[in-house]
Amino acid sequence: MSEPAVLEVRGLRASVEGKEILRGIDLVVRQGEVHAVMGPNGSGKSTLASVIMGRPGYEVTEGAVLFEGEDITGLPPDERARRGLFLALQYPVEVPGVSVVNFLRTAYRSVKGEEVSALAFRKHMKEKMEALGIDDQIVQRYVNQGFSGGEKKKVEVLQLAVLEPKIAVLDETDSGLDIDSLRAVATGIDRLIGPHLGVLLITHYQRILTYIRPTFVHVMMAGRIVKDGGAELAHELEAKGYEGIRRELGLEETVGAPAE
Amino acid sequence: MSASTPTTTFDERVLAALPEAPAFVAAIRGRAFEAFRTLPLPSQQTEEWRYTDVSGFVFDQVPAGAESSSAPEVLDGVAADLGERAGLRLQYGRATIERRLDPALEARGVLLLDLDRAAAEHPELVEPHLHDLVPVERSVFTALHGAFRVGGTFLYVPPDVQVELPIETVTGLGEDRAAVFPHTLLVADRGSEVTLIDRYVSPPLAGALSDAVVELVVGEGAHVRYVSLQEWGSGVTHLAVQRAVVGRDAQLRTLGVALGASLARAEVEVELAGDGSSTELLGVYFGDGQQHIDHRSIQLHRGSRSASDLLYKGALKDAASAIYTGTVIVDHDAHRCDAYQTNRNILLSDRARAMSVPNLEILTNDPTRCGHAASVGPVSEDVLFYLQSRGISREEAERLVVFGFFNEVLDRIDLADIRTSLERAIADELRGGS
Repeated sequence: MSEPAVLEVRGLRASVEGKEILRGIDLVVRQGEVHAVMGPNGSGKSTLASVIMGRPGYEVTEGAVLFEGEDITGLPPDERARRGLFLALQYPVEVPGVSVVNFLRTAYRSVKGEEVSALAFRKHMKEKMEALGIDDQIVQRYVNQGFSGGEKKKVEVLQLAVLEPKIAVLDETDSGLDIDSLRAVATGIDRLIGPHLGVLLITHYQRILTYIRPTFVHVMMAGRIVKDGGAELAHELEAKGYEGIRRELGLEETVGAPAE
Repeated sequence: MSASTPTTTFDERVLAALPEAPAFVAAIRGRAFEAFRTLPLPSQQTEEWRYTDVSGFVFDQVPAGAESSSAPEVLDGVAADLGERAGLRLQYGRATIERRLDPALEARGVLLLDLDRAAAEHPELVEPHLHDLVPVERSVFTALHGAFRVGGTFLYVPPDVQVELPIETVTGLGEDRAAVFPHTLLVADRGSEVTLIDRYVSPPLAGALSDAVVELVVGEGAHVRYVSLQEWGSGVTHLAVQRAVVGRDAQLRTLGVALGASLARAEVEVELAGDGSSTELLGVYFGDGQQHIDHRSIQLHRGSRSASDLLYKGALKDAASAIYTGTVIVDHDAHRCDAYQTNRNILLSDRARAMSVPNLEILTNDPTRCGHAASVGPVSEDVLFYLQSRGISREEAERLVVFGFFNEVLDRIDLADIRTSLERAIADELRGGS
């Protein structure tokens, strides 16, 4: 592998409908690393994921998102995906009338930028499905329509596997899952982790980190990263709770909008 | 009409010049011509025409000629593209260009004929039905149709005869300011089975009129599938009335596709007359430019245990507009009926408009399962973002979503070549235009 790809978030401030949510985020994720961003509800974790992927409706007021050294802050989401970024959604949306396989094939061709034969794609997808233990009938169904929470997240992971991005942002992929589904989804992700994939894992529970061991853990509160550490920080967090960290760092209770 | 009777090309002289017809047809013409001269143009003050303005319509078209010696290219393309058919009838203007029917079916008594020829040769089959379901007095347009129609399709399927492959009629038009009066009369006798496809094609034409009537008589226990593919070029005004009566334990499945014409209106009505009768009504429309598409449907339940299921879906881009008005009527004596009605619209531009007006008139007292749903809206930004976040361009994402939107209908079409040609047409609509 050549130079590992790097996702860099630099001094990022962002607002939604005029309200500042991200208040200066710095983060560097390299291919091959697993970063967990943990934080209570409303700390801005999902906003960070959305801004990294370029979701409309978020205004970057300061700072930048860089990928492989280039500023991608102004690029549309599809352009970011083609460069090797991926976002697994917290709430995968339904796409009525479009089958998973059709969706995946269209995405694969877009990302790989080449005419891939239906057969070659099929083979590639099949391999990934087998590795993840995903059965055949689900890819014939319409994207997320009538899917259980577990099925939705499994298909997100399948997309991740098929599209082979360099850096993936997983936005609360563990939310809404029962213990069995969580294990299936988390071990699936864990299998994909390697030198070719960097992961930014957003969660507010430590649970998923028993399956996916992070290289770094960042604690996010009120739009800022307030503490960095290794895997042990997740355990500390589990023991003390966000409230404990907040007290330890002498942060204010209130979360959200800065004083105006 | 009032004191200021507008000038019209449709006068006594033109009427007198029509080819000779059997007495009962001549009588219809006479009645219809009278009605044409007395009925007003539909007003937007009436509920039926509230959303489509034809108040300024001028009857200055020229009835499409009988002479069509020049090979109509528009039909060549269609004929080359056809799937396997049990029978075919090509009409250009008012002339029959080609007619063929599987000899084995002919031997069993199936008739696929020019309507005028059928009226002359089989009056006992035509007279009871011609303009029975769609009376000429219904509107000034049906009156015009009744007076000046020449040609059209007559299809008769005898009792218990099953026609496996579809039969297709293609009506083509090629002259600016021409008027054509497509008429389809289908009589499916008890226990028979048949699929009929009506296709309307033309290049872009200035100020042409297609004034169409479809009458479908579905006998006891018969299974009929009827597909209407409206692919007129821009500049055509297409006004169609399609009415069906469905007998006891019989089934009618229809698909109406509206892709062409500048103004396209289709009134689709099914009377579920017999106990245990059922109908499925599917519709697909796609408007672009300044197109206006008007659908009106009536699901009339008279028989008990009758069932109807309507699903119409449309996409509108540019400054196109669509209106859907649907009424479900369950009669006093119709017990335990099922009736569903769904209309969904997807808007692909800020200037496109669509409106959906569902109505239920339940006159019976006993438990009837009835439902209706309607929606109008742009492509969801959340869905577009999701697809884009997988590398799919916004344009491609929109295409995928629109295809998905129509798949709900397409998935219910079990005629492979019709589905394929529809997919291609939708792709063309998405690509083309402004």
